[in-house]
Amino acid sequence: MRHGALVYLGAFFALALSWTGFVLTPQMQVGQMVATNTVPAGARYPVARPGLAQQGLQVYRANGCAYCHSQQVWQQGTVFDVMLTDGGTNQPGVVAALQAVMPRLSRPEALQLLEGLPKPVLRGVSREEAESAVKKLTTSGAKATLWIEAVGPDLARGWGKRRSVPEDFLYDYPVLLGAQRVGPDLADVGVRQPDVGWHLRHLYAPASVVTGSVMPGYPYLFEKRRVVGAGSADALALSGDHAPEVGYEVVPKPEAKALAAYLVSLRADAPLFTAPFSVGASGGPAAPATNAAPTAGGGVP
Amino acid sequence: MSVEMRRPAQPATEGREEPTPQGAVPMWLFILLFVALFWGMNYFDRHGAWFNGRVYAPYRSLAELQMHQPPTGGINLERGRAVYESVCALCHGVDGKGKPGQAPPLAGAEWVLGPVNRLVRIPLAGLTGPIEVNGQQWNLAMPAMGAALSDEDLAAVLSYMRTSWGNKGTEVTAEQVGAVRKEIGNRTQPFTAAELLTVQ
Repeated sequence: MRHGALVYLGAFFALALSWTGFVLTPQMQVGQMVATNTVPAGARYPVARPGLAQQGLQVYRANGCAYCHSQQVWQQGTVFDVMLTDGGTNQPGVVAALQAVMPRLSRPEALQLLEGLPKPVLRGVSREEAESAVKKLTTSGAKATLWIEAVGPDLARGWGKRRSVPEDFLYDYPVLLGAQRVGPDLADVGVRQPDVGWHLRHLYAPASVVTGSVMPGYPYLFEKRRVVGAGSADALALSGDHAPEVGYEVVPKPEAKALAAYLVSLRADAPLFTAPFSVGASGGPAAPATNAAPTAGGGVP
Repeated sequence: MSVEMRRPAQPATEGREEPTPQGAVPMWLFILLFVALFWGMNYFDRHGAWFNGRVYAPYRSLAELQMHQPPTGGINLERGRAVYESVCALCHGVDGKGKPGQAPPLAGAEWVLGPVNRLVRIPLAGLTGPIEVNGQQWNLAMPAMGAALSDEDLAAVLSYMRTSWGNKGTEVTAEQVGAVRKEIGNRTQPFTAAELLTVQ
């Protein structure tokens, strides 16, 4: 072979370059990652899972949950909103300030806006506009806050409040990002549905809690047995077609309990420096707190 | 191609490659590649954040990410001015210089710039009796003007006093006001200067 050394060197550098880009650089960037702090509260994030939930990760892996569920939320952009949280006592002044902030707002509309706070006053404006509006409103005696909101199709579905960042997976081994979304994203399913009992019923018979679910049941994680005495405290509260025959009860095996504990521990909802958003007053524009049962929008579990 | 390859090999070209014609790479391809490279470098510069491990899409640089951090709660001095001018300025003056026979000055006053716990007590319960302000003796009575204000508003107005008219004091937080309010309870008796001096 002619130019053997040249071919060898060319191949070597081509491979070395991709190794540098795909292995070495990410390792330098996030390989030494440690727990970080939330912004602005300063709490530790992430918190290591309890042991049962840590075992649940292996059950999640063993049952192939990651083939249909992702754990990565995509964010399209970030917008600034102005949230009016309290009208204060100086109503004429606040109405005047509202009209200064929203020039096309009539007086009755402004008075209507002051009912049932907190409400967004401006949405999707620049930081300067939002800050000056907040200043005008607080000067008049109302309470307004600058609201930073992450937006995107995933977030509009209620799958979280921000994008996923490497910190979310710090204590996951292996990291089960998932690539397909036959079911909804589970990055913050523990926030949407914190009820362990719901998760157990859902794992046993998905259609018992979500109508029209395409998820298969995992009855082998449960034991159907004859009720002895007062019955087990762990027995699932099933009803209708999904309930066992009279005299029988469905009790979760340790694997099912671990998996449910793991699902509840998935709470990627902390505001971080790398993925900032505003946490605050209830009724904000962000996703509602509990929406795990994907009833609206034809979602499947 | 495939048709040609199925033909019997011609002896004349067997074992030899056709010589590559010189100047086969056209100039427009080079220009196109350079334009693409230039565009790519520009795109990377604008969106790549220069390999910063803390910056992810949709943010394009560390500066943009910092711009999106939630604001740290601060005192709104504009609100402080509005409250001052509606509640305090009638006696103490818009310029904080006070009015003879009505109220002592606030500009440069050691009572305003002194300990926060001392200052917060004055609007919360009032002040009466002889007091020396800026080297001048006063003997008036101030009602509890700030008792009806919220912690935030009182903190804002006191912060405004401590940072206006040449005053260079620190800001007062709503938590400090709340703490003093809790400490004095529902006291209605105005403070005296001597009593305030025991507070640090």
